[in-house]
Amino acid sequence: MNLQPPIPVRHALVYAMCACMVMLASTLWAGPSSGGGPEGQSAGPGKAELAQFGERMYREGILPSGAPMQALIKGDITVDGTAFTCVSCHLRSGLGSSEGGIVTPPTNGDKLFHPVKAYYKGFEIISSVPRRPAYTDRTLADVIQGGVDPTGREIDEVMPRYHMDDTSMAILIDYLRGLSSGPTPWHTDNTLSFATVISEGVKPEDRDAMLAPLEAYIKLKNDQAAIYESDGKQARMAEAMVRSRETPYLRLSLAKWVLKGPPETWRGQLDEYSRKGPVLALLGGMVVGDWRPVHEFCEENRIPCVFPVTDFPVISDTDWYTLYISKGYYQEGESAARYLGGLDGRQVDGKVLQIVGASRTGRALSEGFEKTWDGMGNKKPVTIKLKEGETLTAKALGRLMEKERPSILVLWTGPESLPALDAVAAGKNRPEAAVVSYGALGKDLWSLKEDVRDFTYITYPYRLPQDEARLRFYIPGVGVPSLKGDCNNIMKRAYSVTTVLTATLMDMRGNYYRDNFLDLTGMMMDVEAPLYVRLSFGPGQRYAVKGCYIVQLTKGPSPSLVKMGDWVIH
Amino acid sequence: MKRRAVVALRLVAVMLALSIASPSEAAVGKYKRTIEEYAVPDVVLVNQDGAKVRLKELVQSDNVVIVEFIFGTCTTICPVLSAGFTNLQQKLSPDTRRVRLVSITIDPENDSPKVLKEYLGRYHAKPGWDFLTGSRSDIDKVMRAFSAYVPNKMQHFPLTLIRLPGDGRWVRIYGLMSTSEFMDECRKAGVK
Repeated sequence: MNLQPPIPVRHALVYAMCACMVMLASTLWAGPSSGGGPEGQSAGPGKAELAQFGERMYREGILPSGAPMQALIKGDITVDGTAFTCVSCHLRSGLGSSEGGIVTPPTNGDKLFHPVKAYYKGFEIISSVPRRPAYTDRTLADVIQGGVDPTGREIDEVMPRYHMDDTSMAILIDYLRGLSSGPTPWHTDNTLSFATVISEGVKPEDRDAMLAPLEAYIKLKNDQAAIYESDGKQARMAEAMVRSRETPYLRLSLAKWVLKGPPETWRGQLDEYSRKGPVLALLGGMVVGDWRPVHEFCEENRIPCVFPVTDFPVISDTDWYTLYISKGYYQEGESAARYLGGLDGRQVDGKVLQIVGASRTGRALSEGFEKTWDGMGNKKPVTIKLKEGETLTAKALGRLMEKERPSILVLWTGPESLPALDAVAAGKNRPEAAVVSYGALGKDLWSLKEDVRDFTYITYPYRLPQDEARLRFYIPGVGVPSLKGDCNNIMKRAYSVTTVLTATLMDMRGNYYRDNFLDLTGMMMDVEAPLYVRLSFGPGQRYAVKGCYIVQLTKGPSPSLVKMGDWVIH
Repeated sequence: MKRRAVVALRLVAVMLALSIASPSEAAVGKYKRTIEEYAVPDVVLVNQDGAKVRLKELVQSDNVVIVEFIFGTCTTICPVLSAGFTNLQQKLSPDTRRVRLVSITIDPENDSPKVLKEYLGRYHAKPGWDFLTGSRSDIDKVMRAFSAYVPNKMQHFPLTLIRLPGDGRWVRIYGLMSTSEFMDECRKAGVK
């Protein structure tokens, strides 16, 4: 479903020009080297295809002809546009970036075709982008090609000068005109709308733990806005601090999109919720079962989603719209492989035997482990997949150990197979090392017997409990999380959503475009968070926490966890 | 009194606004060049092929060695620095190994060998150009050793370090260079 709103009257002129440009581009069109319409037809590409060509130029640096755009930087460095794309600095929204002291100005339609003033009228803010009149198609082509802006000023040499023919230039300008320039229906009466997705069947205590930090944050923000509205002095201070006349008064709302019935019906429900009340982004969220239907809904509708509470995120190098805290269980498996064969880890000369429980957890752990292990060029592990309902017995494991004689035993199973591990520890085929997962074992991890502890390595995806206890994170409006078990973790994870919101909303400054929301998240500073030592994004990164600890249990009746080295990332 | 407060507030706002660098302020102007001595830490990093690399050995070379700190998803600064490396290799071609180019990530959590390899592919890297990652603590050690430490990757700055093969001292260049400026610096360091 396309949520792009209709073209407003005030933009009619701009769109009329756009239509002319598309017609011009179509007229001049010589056709790409491949594709571009059915064989034998001479008609040029349609509007949608031209938009795709424009997007490809902007994002990939590829001309409609299929050749790379040619660019010149710093006066004499020639590069392919594929190495120096528009998107790499101006970002997907076109609203620019700020990194290492260099500010890249906006190139979205809304900004390009309006003048930049030195001062904002009636307010003490100096633009971080030099003053200039509104661009026209001609002056925009001049600055892209020659680096001279409408005031005659030569812009910074860091901005490449792109060489292309008039037709390609027209297509690119047409793309920029439409980039982040339409209305934003999720922003009305200076209230920004968000939603959280919850499916039926989620335990009420889990749901409440997830909602508490989100609702407390929104209440605090809205109370603050009310104070600024009634106290001019404080308001002006706030405006100056955030360099915006509207951010201090911005209010937030959070709708609850409750999904009922089987997952196959969720998509229709999500479409309906979104149609009735469009939102800038989804925050947090929990479902019973797979998050994938919500992920796909966000991807197809280009709706950002921040940190759904799931240990089974969709693993993708290219999907754009959902930000996950981590790769969940997959990441534990990934880190185990890196530890065993990686930088600080052990050198595995012998065989690896991997036993995978018949559960989602087991499968996710195993997938992460195998993909990473194979990617490192290692010999494939011997993998035994347990059947549904099958428990790994001491006898069965003993037989496998006798047959395979592995140097490493990887158990992606639950606590029910710990007696089998105990038996291996006492047997003649005890491996050099065994690997188990905290995620799969949960609190039963603490029941590992002494004989097992010295050769058993545990993947642990959080800050160690003793370190976490020392930090005592305070959640504004909620206090220090002190719920039991999973609820505590859920609340802490949901709190990280508000960290992202704070960093992002401060810099949106009226540009409430969904891609801008994600671009700004990509530029946020690394932060320490409850449970995690470092939440870290970067442009285009979609999993905030990478890696995992590998730990062992100490001896004695009250064991603690000890790290086997750095947070494992390689 | 009220007027004075308003004036003060305006002053604060102006200072705040000015503290955010403008595009022209940040990048225009001559780069800063100094000669430095660095003690390279003895750490083992990983290159784009997943191979372990002892940094100290890598930079102990009879050839000129050039080090830069970048990251795989960086905008603005890194593409310019890396485009400089691409052009230098074009000029060195076919014997690109005459100068050892070493890019070191400042985002080790994200920059796996796979990410490094893709990045080098985008810049048409040829033999002689390695991109290294490692553990967070080792990367921090390297950044500190070269006075390039930033606690946060989004605060990084444009830096090029050229090791002089004769005495092992380093030319430290703060700022972005054009190809001709970069080539001049390489020539001064002994690249023919």
